[in-house]
Amino acid sequence: MTADAFLFWFLALSTVAGGVMVVSLTNPIYAALSLAFTMVSVAAVFVTLEAFFVAGVQLIVYAGAVMVLFVMVLMLFDLKHEVESFARGKVTGAIKLLAAGLLAGLLIGAILYSSSGELGSSAPQAAAQIDSTKTLGYRLFTQHIFAFEALGVLLLVIAVGVVALSRSKGGTHGKH
Amino acid sequence: MGNDVFEITVNAVKLIVVFLLMVQAVPILVWLERRGSAFIQNRFGPNRVGPLGLLQLLADAVKFITKEDFAPDKAIRKLFYAAPVFALIPATLAYAAIPMSLPFMVPAFEMLGSTWGPYTFRVQGYEIGVGIVFILGVSSLAAYTILMAGWGSGSKFSLLGALRAAAQVISYELALGLSIVGVILLYGTFNLTEMIQAQQGPLQFTAFGHTITSAVSWIPNWGIFYQPIGFLLFFAAAFAESNRLPFDLAEGEAELVAGFHTEYGGFKMLMFFIGEYGHMMIASGLATTFFFGGYGIPGITPDELQQIILGWGFSEAGAGGLNSLIHFLSYNVKFAIFLWIFIQVRWTLPRFRYDQLMDLGWKTMLPWALANTIATAVIIYAVS
Repeated sequence: MTADAFLFWFLALSTVAGGVMVVSLTNPIYAALSLAFTMVSVAAVFVTLEAFFVAGVQLIVYAGAVMVLFVMVLMLFDLKHEVESFARGKVTGAIKLLAAGLLAGLLIGAILYSSSGELGSSAPQAAAQIDSTKTLGYRLFTQHIFAFEALGVLLLVIAVGVVALSRSKGGTHGKH
Repeated sequence: MGNDVFEITVNAVKLIVVFLLMVQAVPILVWLERRGSAFIQNRFGPNRVGPLGLLQLLADAVKFITKEDFAPDKAIRKLFYAAPVFALIPATLAYAAIPMSLPFMVPAFEMLGSTWGPYTFRVQGYEIGVGIVFILGVSSLAAYTILMAGWGSGSKFSLLGALRAAAQVISYELALGLSIVGVILLYGTFNLTEMIQAQQGPLQFTAFGHTITSAVSWIPNWGIFYQPIGFLLFFAAAFAESNRLPFDLAEGEAELVAGFHTEYGGFKMLMFFIGEYGHMMIASGLATTFFFGGYGIPGITPDELQQIILGWGFSEAGAGGLNSLIHFLSYNVKFAIFLWIFIQVRWTLPRFRYDQLMDLGWKTMLPWALANTIATAVIIYAVS
């Protein structure tokens, strides 16, 4: 096994193990910490793919900001252990199985699609030779400008909504 | 890491050396902090153990290591023991990515019957193309340490202190990140080595196709002259990130004892200490790199210095090595000045109240950092 293959399997297994821990642990804080671990592992996978900028952003945004806030908020609440990690019940169980099956089908379809045809034959070395950060920036502000701006507006709406909610009666900075 | 055994070995050793450099600097800094604070407050400080109290560090280390290793009854042991170890990781990883001197050239040589080289070794733990993004990403993980310690201790003081410290770190991370965007726009790169190269030579502004070089040739082309507001914001946010006065709200004897490390003692406490000093060192190293020319020496470029050293009768390789060493010293002088400013500020300013801290971060520094970013972008677009 080459060093690259070893690194890939190691990171892939730790990512999946982190993901399994997120759904199987009964303590919400451990689940959130496992999710953070998964995100750091994904960042490491990005590094092995030489997508350094995406790896850094993954660390800053997801692992460093979003999940830290999650963990912090979970610690503020008085959360109890869940009794069991998977709730039982015929209808809900069936829906969960269905959802899991759909997701698995989607993932397998995506993997099969990506390894066949045009995507499967793309040269892996091409990314290393061009400045991937610059390319990403150009793409973001030309091809995907609409999606980018729409996401910005969405975030603004969320921010305004949060301010509106927290300023209502009973909030920490509410009207006296 | 390298193409052959020799290169891989040297690079691996380099990683360990950078880590040890960081860890070994901590006792010296602690001594400097205690003696310096005593000097500022007209006291003596530790002056009994060894000359000038220098062996106090050794005595402290022995004390820390030999203390009883215990966990509180209600602690969650895994998190409690993991947190101090995790405190070292972000600081070490980030510090290893800061370039400390010119690359060290090793010409081809004979060893064990085969020819090795030539090699170029960078004087830093490892080189990463998007240096800043990596350093910010890794050091943003430091908040987990605080939260893990606070939750794992199983004590209300620890938990409250951890929540407060984590909120502070997250808030100031925004201002810290935004204050650097101006620098990134200015140099057009994420790479720290390229930034340092852009700051060599005398100060010169390029605007509307004209280049204005400063009349005094020893004034260097440092980032501080282009980004003064960026520097102030960066340095202030760095204080908050490393939980130091005037932003040491993580601790508070009256309301939450010692914050998230209330329940820690002995060597585990020492590891938190090293983590905190590590953040100070990262901030000093980054401030040097972004705004003060990194390892560059004012008034002389590395190539000119190389010529001068060659004039002293050194070989090409020897001159390169000496040049690298001199630049390493230059970096360390700037680095030490910033560390001293950290200590001086700690013993000069009173601390903020928590609401003042949050107001300063969100309502003052964040808007100023945004304004700095926009102004820099507009000016760069206008003059080029």
